Order: sequence, then C-alpha cells, then structure tokens
Amino acid sequence: MKDRLAESIKQSRADYTEIRVERTWSSAVAFRGRRLETATVSEDQGGFVRVLNPGHGWGIASFTSLDELPAMVQRAHELSQAVRLDEPIRLAESAPQTGDAVLELDGDVRGVALSEKKKLLDRYNGAMLAVSNAIVDTQSSYRDEVSEVWYVNSEGTSLYQLRPEVVVSGTAIGRRNGTIEKGLESIGLRKGWNSVQNYEDKFRVVAQRAVDLLDAPRVRGGAYPVILDNELAGVFIHEAFGHLSEADFVYENPQAREMMTLGRRFGKPVLNVGDNGAATGLRGTLPYDDEGTPTQDTPLIREGILVGRLHSRETAAKLGERPTGNARAISFRHPPIVRMTNTYIAPGKKGAQFSDLIGDIKLGVYACGAFGGQTMLENFSFTAGWGYMIRDGKVAELVKDVVLAGNLFETLDRIDHIAGDFTWNQMGGGCGKGGQFPLPVTEGAPHVRIEEALIGGDV
Amino acid sequence: MIDRLLESARGKVDGADALWRREEQTAVTFESGRLKSAGISEEAGLNLRVLAGGRLGVAGTTAAKPDPAELVGRARASAELGEVVELAFPSAAATALPRIPTFFDRTANASLAELIRMGRFLVERLARPDCQVNISVQRELADTAVGNTAGARGEYRATGIGVTADVTRIAGDDVLMVYDQYVGADLPNDADLETLVRSVETRLTAALKIVAPPDGALPVVFTPAGLAAVVLPLEQALSGKTVLQGSSPLAGKVGETLFDERLSIFDDPLTPGRPASRPIDDECVPSRATGLVENGVVGRFVYDLETAARAKTQSTGNGRRGVFGKPHIGYTNIVFRMGDRAGARHGVPYGHAGGVPLLGGGLIADIQDGLIVDDLIGVGQGNVIGGAFSHPVGLAYRVQRGEVTGRVKDAAVAGNAYELLKRIGGCGNDGRWLGARWSPSLLLEGVSVARR
Repeated sequence: MKDRLAESIKQSRADYTEIRVERTWSSAVAFRGRRLETATVSEDQGGFVRVLNPGHGWGIASFTSLDELPAMVQRAHELSQAVRLDEPIRLAESAPQTGDAVLELDGDVRGVALSEKKKLLDRYNGAMLAVSNAIVDTQSSYRDEVSEVWYVNSEGTSLYQLRPEVVVSGTAIGRRNGTIEKGLESIGLRKGWNSVQNYEDKFRVVAQRAVDLLDAPRVRGGAYPVILDNELAGVFIHEAFGHLSEADFVYENPQAREMMTLGRRFGKPVLNVGDNGAATGLRGTLPYDDEGTPTQDTPLIREGILVGRLHSRETAAKLGERPTGNARAISFRHPPIVRMTNTYIAPGKKGAQFSDLIGDIKLGVYACGAFGGQTMLENFSFTAGWGYMIRDGKVAELVKDVVLAGNLFETLDRIDHIAGDFTWNQMGGGCGKGGQFPLPVTEGAPHVRIEEALIGGDV
Repeated sequence: MIDRLLESARGKVDGADALWRREEQTAVTFESGRLKSAGISEEAGLNLRVLAGGRLGVAGTTAAKPDPAELVGRARASAELGEVVELAFPSAAATALPRIPTFFDRTANASLAELIRMGRFLVERLARPDCQVNISVQRELADTAVGNTAGARGEYRATGIGVTADVTRIAGDDVLMVYDQYVGADLPNDADLETLVRSVETRLTAALKIVAPPDGALPVVFTPAGLAAVVLPLEQALSGKTVLQGSSPLAGKVGETLFDERLSIFDDPLTPGRPASRPIDDECVPSRATGLVENGVVGRFVYDLETAARAKTQSTGNGRRGVFGKPHIGYTNIVFRMGDRAGARHGVPYGHAGGVPLLGGGLIADIQDGLIVDDLIGVGQGNVIGGAFSHPVGLAYRVQRGEVTGRVKDAAVAGNAYELLKRIGGCGNDGRWLGARWSPSLLLEGVSVARR
C-alpha cells in the first residue's frame, strides 16, 4: 500500500501532496433495556488527499473508492489551483518519518466472536437493570475497532499505523412518576478485548446513582466554592482551557493572539497543565499525528503562566513555533485540524489530599462525574453527573442538575488548591470540533478546588 | 445495486430491505476572511437489513464494488444474535409517491467559482475592522435508492446547500461570537445572503455593549436559535422509541392538553425546498406529515418500522439509516405552527428570504426586565428528556422597559421545558428556518436566571 501511495505522490503535479488511506474493521453491540438493538461487524475504508501549491490554498479530496486515487490526486490539485492566496500557506519543518507503528492490541478484537461481545455487554447491561425496579431503561453499547492507517507525503514521510480502540458504555435511566434521572458509565481505551473485562461493579454503581438521584433535590443556583472530582476536573481543563490552546484559534487572529500571549498569567502557581499525545496506553495516544509529526508532551501552563500551545504544521509555521503533533482527523473523510490528545492538570503538592481541599469550606458544592461540556471560548459550561453539598467542611447531601457555568479567565485564576490524587479518566465518546466527532481523547486530573464558581439552577 | 443485493438475499433470508446512497460534497472555506481551501468528498455505501429465522440482522459496506453474497452473509451472522421482531416490510405503494421537489438544478450545477463568489460576498459584507469572519459554503448532491423483498422501491436525487457565517470579536478578554446559516435545497440568492448578513449584524450591534444580567424568575424570549434547549426534550419524548422504553414523560399522554393551546408542532417531510424533505423514508415508507403536538394536545409519536411493529402501530415514515448500523427514528423537518388567540393559524413562509425582524421578534415591548436568549452553552448534555435544563448563556441580551439594553455575560438560565410550554407569553413575528427546524421566537415566563 505504501508503494502504491508513493507512486500516486510521484504523479502529483502539486508542490506538496499527502495521502492518507484507512481501513477500519469494527464490531458493535448495543442494548436498549433488555432488548438487543444490534450486533454487527463492519468494514469501512477510504482515502484522503490534500495538496498545496505556491500562491494557492489547500485542495482536498476524500473518497471511498480507492480505484479513484490517481484521479483524486489530480482533482485535489485542480481545487488547490482554484484557491488563490496572496499570503502563502507555509508548513513548519517536520523531519520525514518512516516506519510502522503497531500499538498493543491487548486481545485482538478481530479474533473474538461477536456472540462473546454480546455476552459481555449483556452482563454489564443486566447488572444495571438488576439494581432496582426504578431502572426503567438502559442504553448500553460495546464498540471495538482496529484501524490501519497509511500515510505518505511528498517530503518523504511514509508511515503505517495500527490503531486499536474499544469502548464500553452504559446509561441507566431511573424513573419514578414524572421524575427521570440517569447514571452514565463509560470506559474507552486504545486497547483490546482483555482490557474491558470485569467491570460489572462500575455499571451497578451508576445505576444505583440514577435511583438515588430520583430523591435528590436540585442544587440551588448561585456562586459557591466548588470542588471538582478527577473526572470533572479533566473535562473542565479540556473544555475551559484546552480549546483555547489549540493554535488554529489564534493563528489568524491578532486579538486572540494577544489574549493568549505566551507568558500571560492564567492561574495561581499551583496550576500546571499540559497535553501529552505520547503518554503510554491512553485513548488519545498516537505515535504520530495525521500529518506524520511525532506526538509529544506539550506543557501549556507552568506554575500558572501560559507557556505553550497545540499546533499543526500550518499553525506552527504561521506563529514561528514548532509543530506539536496535534493535527488530527477523525477519519479519511476529514482533513487534520488542531486537536487535543491526552490533556491533564498535573497533580498538586505530593500528599495533598481531598480533606485538605474541603476542610475550610462552610457551604459549597462537590461536583462529580461529567455528562459533558461545551465551550464558547471565554465562556464554558460543564454538566456534572451528580454532586453533593459541602457543609462545614464535610460532604453532605446528594444534589442533582449540577451545571457549572464559567468564564475561563476568572475560573482558572480561582483554582486555589490541587490534590495529589491524579488519575487519567479513560472514557468513551470523544471531542467534537469543526464537524469532526467523536475524536478519541483522554483527560486527566486530581481533585481541584475553585474558590468560587457559578452553578446554574433554580434561584 | 439494490436489486442485485435483494436478489442475492432471496431464499437465504425471510425478508430484507436495503438502502444505497451516493453523496458528493463540494466545500469552500474562508478563514479570517481569506479563502483557504476547496475540497470535494465522494462516498457511496450500501446498508442491508435482513429477517432470518424471525430475527433481525444488519450489515453495511463502503466498498467500491460490494460483494452482495458477503454482505448477506454478514447480515445473517448479525441476525443469529438479533432479537425476534415481527417486522412487515411495506409492499409496493398502491399510489404514486408524493411529489416533492428535492433536486434543484441550480444547486447541482453551481460551479466552484459560484460557491466561492457567495463566500466572498459574505466576507465583504461582514468585514469589520475588529472582527474575524469565517465562512463555509458546502453543496451536497445525493442519490438515494431504497427497496425491499416485498416489492417496494423508491429512488430520488436531492440537493442541499449550507452556508455558515461565524463572526468573532475579541476585545481584551471579551469574546463575542455570532453565528448564522442558510440551509436549503435550492441555492440562496443575493437577497437570502443579505438577510443572513443583516441577521448577524443586528445581533452583533446589540451585543457591543455589555450590561449586568438580571436575576430571578423572569420573562425570557427564546429566539429560534435559542429555542433548541426547549425543543430538544420534546423531540426526545415524542420519539416512539423512548415511549416504548418507558423513558418518555409523554408516554400515555396522547390526546391530553399538556401545552399552550396555540402550540402545534409537525414533522413534515413534504416541505418544499428543504434538504431534509423526501418522498419516501429510508425503509420504503411513503412520506407524510405527522402532527406531534396539535393545539397544545399531544398528537402522534414518530416511529420507524421496527418500533412501530413493537408498539403495534404504523410507521410514520421516520425511518432513517446510515451505511452502518440499523435503521432508527429520525425527524425530518420540525415545523412550529403557531395559532393566535382567535384560533387562526399563521402561515409558514416556506421560502428563506424575507425581511430581517427586530431582535426579539416583536415580543419585548411589555417586558420590564428580562432576557432574549439566542444561544445557550451545553444544550443536549445532562438529563434532556426529563425536561429540566440549566445552561450558561452563549449569547443573550438584557431587556429593560421594553428595550434591548445590551449583552449579558456570566449568567445561566434554567427551567423545565414541559412546564414553560404550558403557557406561552407570545409568539414572535420572526419565524425562520434553522437547519431542519422552523419556528418563531417564543416568550416564556418565569424562567430562572442566575448571575454571578
């Protein structure tokens, strides 16, 4: 395949040409309540060509019929020619890479019968349903894939990558009369069959929580001191800060660049943030990004000061910085854009514990788990799965509908305590941007305290 | 392709249906006012569903030359694990399919240069010294064929075009984003693009001044864009699937008046000029409109073939399927038809153009203190179907003594969709399409507004 792509590159009349071909084997099982929805095996394949010419913009073609490859290289060249640019697009230097990168499969999912996958999910789904009669519905899904990706460009990079992925997720829906609540568990790994066994307890716990939430009061809206658990703190740093550190937000925008000037103080010295696409064995991990740049650990905030950002080759060239291996595409249907990988808040002082964070809070909210988050640059929202009131330094009653609204700059600056209990949260789902969803990412964090944050809800 | 596949399935399964779709997209993008890229994408795929031994199985492929026998084999393997479903594939329609224009030559024939011209027009009209303008223009052509072993067949070609404008203004640490779109089956003319420009400008201009948010239980005007948080719970609760699963709060409520009597909501696949319109659904069921809510009364739930079979009712023609996975319920065009107090209905202007209404759709004159909500952050997260929502504002304006006084930040709105729609304070004169939904602004009372 590499030779075939190299041959097509040779034929290209464009100044720069890259070709990505993917072949993805996947299987999926889904339950809704006690019913099996589907159990399928699929194969998806296609190609992506992107070219650049001096004085012109990008020409892009994606296609499912690989026989069309030579014609598509020509089409992409013609499209590039149609885009006239005064200021040329430059690509930052990225040393040519060659080789094969085969990630550990940890039980090749292609060798496991579909019926076994159904049995596994049936167990997790059944564990949720067995918790209570109040669990009226579930949505459970198992999905695995093994993706083969070939990438060749006209600068000599020629790569083959084997990327496995497996995700098991369950939503338990509890209902009593008109009140409906849910609990969500999701495990997503860049691994295989062996890594998703024996999780019954996790699914039981979320179903029980859905039941407990039926009787829990809604949190009262207002400003509180808030402690985020590891999972929510991870979603928080991804949503609230991570997206702003993606250089495609600033590279063409002088005002945004000013806002995100390296060296600006973003938080107290306790805050350290980074993105590490090279971390071992995480869902956002890849040896190379989709421009063939090796991934790396990129510090973004060091002791409260903005020190870095995430780049593609194009954004790096524009800002005179180095590519960071963050150009990613969810599939051959899309161009690579600047994305996060494994984003983290580094642990605080060694030995710093949850009790150190909560001790002096008279009235506050302990926000746990994440249903999701969305950012609109300086403003963001994230929805906790559940929460507890904090009263007189102790975790008190369970509350629901905990939604944190915030302003990035104020909120980051109000992080005043970070515990030492760091964990990576390997969830399914993923990040959405520019119509590309879901991109596998991981978030990691310890418990984090925000001096004051706005919680939505009844007032 | 459909015929060959169904032929190959014959004798090996009890019954089957299939969908073949070929899509071709052409897109141009402008970043910060500059044309940066032009791209095409071509994709063809085949989805097969079989009933074998009474059990349901599916398989799909994007292979360039699909092997029918291999696909049938994979679908049968899927059926071995599948549920027993008493699914009846619809037979060939006795009458002709509804005639609905889905293919517009002007859209299909638009050259790359024409798409670029539209983008440039918007870039030039929206340019402001302190703003970044991103534009995308995307044209889609799709050929769809559906068929089943009961003899039903359907084929149609469709065009679609989406033009989006994102304007970002950063001043210090204040980030303001205003977004709008034109989505249609037919190409926008310059008046349509001008409407888009003025819609962005109206909201941008009113947002330049930042004012303190109010708080308390207040009247809030939800614009057609801002209404998403209120509509989403209804869309989920009116799906036959959630009704079957017992998670819909509207289950068992058909015929009950649960909403303001002026509120009617239809799913209408026969709306002319809309990209989601179609003569037949993805399971060979001819299209027709479905009254979801009529004069405040819960009407019909929407079904695909499988959920209809399980609920012992008829499919409403809301079957949707992709290349992979099995068909599922999907809405087509969600259309709000608002009656006035006298019971008369306002017609829905199906065309896209029209004057740009004032912010708030003429609903703010009597508001002493309240909000206009145009965008909320995080809609769709959380416990949607329960109806309760709580979101920080993405773009919202304060209304004081009947006038827009500026943009508010750092505020969150919360409420329960089912409760709020029991009493609608007013329907705006600003009805418009947003994606596949047509609605005016709605004034809703007693919405919780929290501020920092």
